[in-house]
Amino acid sequence: MSELTTEQVGALAAALGLPVTAEDLVEVTHRLNGLIDALEPLAALPLETIEPVTGLGQPPLS
Amino acid sequence: MTADADLAFLSARRIAALVRERAVSPVEITHLYLDRIGRLDAELRAYITVVPEAALESARRAEAAVLRGEALAPLHGVPYAVKDQFDTAGVRTTSGSRLLEHHVPTEDATTISRLNAAGAILLGKLNLTEFALGGTQQFPFGQPRNPWNLDHDPGGSSSGSGIAVAAALCAASLGEDTGGSVRSPASFCGVVGLRPTWSRVSRHGSFPLSWSMDTPGPLARTVEDVAWLLQAIAGYDPKDPLSSRAPVPEYAKGLEEGVRGLRIGVIRELTSGPETDAEMKAAVLEAARCLERVGATTEEISLPLVPRAGAIFMALADSDGAGVHHRWLRTRAAEYDRGTRRRLLTASLIPAAIQQRAARARALLGTQMREALARHDLLLCPTAHQAAPPIAAGRGVITSRHEVAGRFFTRRSYVTPAALAGLPAIAVPCGFTRAGLPLSLQLIGRHFDEATVLRAAHTYECQFEWSRRRPPGAA
Repeated sequence: MSELTTEQVGALAAALGLPVTAEDLVEVTHRLNGLIDALEPLAALPLETIEPVTGLGQPPLS
Repeated sequence: MTADADLAFLSARRIAALVRERAVSPVEITHLYLDRIGRLDAELRAYITVVPEAALESARRAEAAVLRGEALAPLHGVPYAVKDQFDTAGVRTTSGSRLLEHHVPTEDATTISRLNAAGAILLGKLNLTEFALGGTQQFPFGQPRNPWNLDHDPGGSSSGSGIAVAAALCAASLGEDTGGSVRSPASFCGVVGLRPTWSRVSRHGSFPLSWSMDTPGPLARTVEDVAWLLQAIAGYDPKDPLSSRAPVPEYAKGLEEGVRGLRIGVIRELTSGPETDAEMKAAVLEAARCLERVGATTEEISLPLVPRAGAIFMALADSDGAGVHHRWLRTRAAEYDRGTRRRLLTASLIPAAIQQRAARARALLGTQMREALARHDLLLCPTAHQAAPPIAAGRGVITSRHEVAGRFFTRRSYVTPAALAGLPAIAVPCGFTRAGLPLSLQLIGRHFDEATVLRAAHTYECQFEWSRRRPPGAA
């Protein structure tokens, strides 16, 4: 995924009705790009066959 | 060290025993902790709200029950404190935020009513990172400080819960662990902290962060105390439909049975990986050898996904948090701390494809951990990659995408694997750095097998006297 720009992030926030100051926007963009970077290596895993359920081991309720 | 300080640093169970034997009055011990809070907390900032009148009233009732010879509950007369994330009827509950500065609930959280029913006496509400998220830059109710070194981070989000136990500003405390928020402060402050299996303890009355990971958990100076606190709060609650109906065992019963025959997997990526500080690694490997000497077998295992756990966690839990806070983010954004606001705004904007990838990776990590726990009774690793860092290390704005992993993900990868998989995990002191900061061992168990986690932790704890050390400023 290519790096998001502050303009793109600002537009997305505006679409969601989230007020983002110019100062916040710069850091939020870095944080979002950093998170996407960190999860990029997971794309190499065979995740397509895994259902994204939490599977927390809850025993039967009765 | 004074006799009063000696009494304040006793375990909760020992205090309960002294109350039962009429050797100590609940009023006396409550006064002692209130005096210590008054003397020490201006600097430590463990507490947001102290309730001296209510505590002393409860203590007088507890004393009267002792004198009448009534049957006493297990924690009768034991003063405790609770993270200000849990509702307390008639006592303001801020979640560490200016947004809730004047919020006064009308009902106790289930955990609070259960601790009160077990005879414990509430001293007050403890400081935390805002809304139990990490990364608060300016704490609205004062900067919490590590009692082992005031310039260092006490850990979070249950910061005050760790500080208050370490500095004997209460006998025991309650925190909440979504992704390490009980274990991190326990690690940095040199106390014991337990994250129970998700759903083992009711979340009713606790301000939410992530529905599938939020877990109340106890902090105390001994493993036995943690077992007794868990006993008080565990079990099904109709007010939390996701709480488990699984029977609650007697957690303290098997503590003395030792670890002979237990198989322990040492997680290579977290224990010997490049991010783990040398002193932490040495202490944790020595702890593993100690458990071997008393009868366990250990084996190094690999869980290649765990170094990614911190990022996976933040993609998922923070998204949940963004959902919880969406309305306030739109209407009251300026009232949040800068660090909290930026974290929640970031989480609000995570692309769905990225979140889906994280959710699938979580499922895979959970499967791998359950498979490892099919071959081993426990998994072992450090609770954190290093001892408590300076408070200043977590300050300042992020100026590049490349700073993000080091600032947020690395340390979380040590505590979030258990959270993502819903497993019970305990943090136990395992030594000190040359600079005098606590080091911490983490033991992770099977779903609903807190008993084995506690037994192994207690066995380890009994080999050393780490828990007898006291922070220099807390005499």
